[in-house]
Amino acid sequence: MNQSFIDLLTPFLPNLGDRPLTEDSRLHDLGMNSMKAIDLLFAIEDGLGVSLPDEDLNDTTFATAGSLWAAVRRAGAAEEDHRAAA
Amino acid sequence: MSVFAVREPATAAGSRLGALPADASGADLWRVLGAENRLAGVYRGDDPRRGVDPAALGALLTDLDRRFGVGSTLAVTVPLATCLPLLASGTGPAARTLADSLDGRTVVALAATDQDSGCDLAALDTRVSFDGDHLRLDGAKRWITNATTCGAALVLARHRPGPHFTNFTWVLVPADAPGVSARPAGTELFDGSGTGHLAFDGVRLTRDHVVGGTGRGLSGFAAHIATERLAGALWAVALCERVLRETAGHLKGRRHGDGVLWEREGIRQRWAGALLRSRQHRALTESLTEAVAVRRDTSSAALLKASAAETVEHVLDVCAHLQGAHGFRTGGPQQLRAQGALFGIGGGTTEVVLSIVAETAADGPAGELP
Repeated sequence: MNQSFIDLLTPFLPNLGDRPLTEDSRLHDLGMNSMKAIDLLFAIEDGLGVSLPDEDLNDTTFATAGSLWAAVRRAGAAEEDHRAAA
Repeated sequence: MSVFAVREPATAAGSRLGALPADASGADLWRVLGAENRLAGVYRGDDPRRGVDPAALGALLTDLDRRFGVGSTLAVTVPLATCLPLLASGTGPAARTLADSLDGRTVVALAATDQDSGCDLAALDTRVSFDGDHLRLDGAKRWITNATTCGAALVLARHRPGPHFTNFTWVLVPADAPGVSARPAGTELFDGSGTGHLAFDGVRLTRDHVVGGTGRGLSGFAAHIATERLAGALWAVALCERVLRETAGHLKGRRHGDGVLWEREGIRQRWAGALLRSRQHRALTESLTEAVAVRRDTSSAALLKASAAETVEHVLDVCAHLQGAHGFRTGGPQQLRAQGALFGIGGGTTEVVLSIVAETAADGPAGELP
């Protein structure tokens, strides 16, 4: 996970405390509820400039920091490819 | 600049809106506003994708509130604040319906609240399933504004079981599609709003009737319900200030002893107390408008909705009492009190929005309370 993703995600995890965020960190256990998850989706799309595809909009994607990071990375790569093709 | 700074002028003399009778329905208002190109004007650059222009929206709601009933104003407010911006995230049927809506040729209902689960949207049971290029919709929605007058409804449905926010999807459903039925709600409180209940029984549509993407139902709702809450706050300002003006006018003309009621200090102070609450709500609305309109801040929107509900309830309660028997006239503050309860229920109850405020405020950094 890169630092900008960690910086974006951390404010949505009120139970993280001083622990480090790892790819195995379970978002629900760290205080992520539905409302926060929706705001996080907005933050990803507005802040990182990537739009998660429909097939990645599921509870598996939002289960851990690593699964969400993987989806963000895939979406970013797909948009890069799309821009390059255009 | 103040969001209220450009609230005037209202409807120009000679306009078709000005010629409508005071009891015109919301559907009539929608048609005329579209024909006069005033619907697109509430959005930045006349484009619903860019969000509302709060000053323009506030000016329109003030105009409607002054001229027409609560039900009819409600029937314009909901699609303007929520349906059209949602449609703007779609293509195909959604794009065509958006164009027809902006021109006033059709009105779209927002059908989110389910038959049984009420405002607990994550528990709703209306289902959409996919089969190749088609979808099937089954379920029921209740207390839907414009249900009996709409040309189409934006229906929030689940495509997967479970409460996760990605399990929900918007479907644009033409009102005349086979399997769709509407019946009016049993109330006299919201004349002109077309409020009723919708049922979907095996409704089959092409898949391009999904709006905004599969799984974006609740996030789309969250993004645009904030605008609806801002619209409610702006409308509450207009409603409270209008009723306060009318009440002062009544008190200044109502004889009491050798003078008029307005000369009694106790009455003037009670009226001024209601004015204070109205001004506090106005100031809060002004301070949070940008956060909601530009940053779609859900916490600020929730705070505005709670404030609107409590302010309308207090101001109408005081004004109804101060107007005495006169307050019971048709369209008077006693009737408005019952209608005004809508501000604390429709689009999320006061309890629900206060929970949102508590949740977000408690987690926010010090000094960044909404």
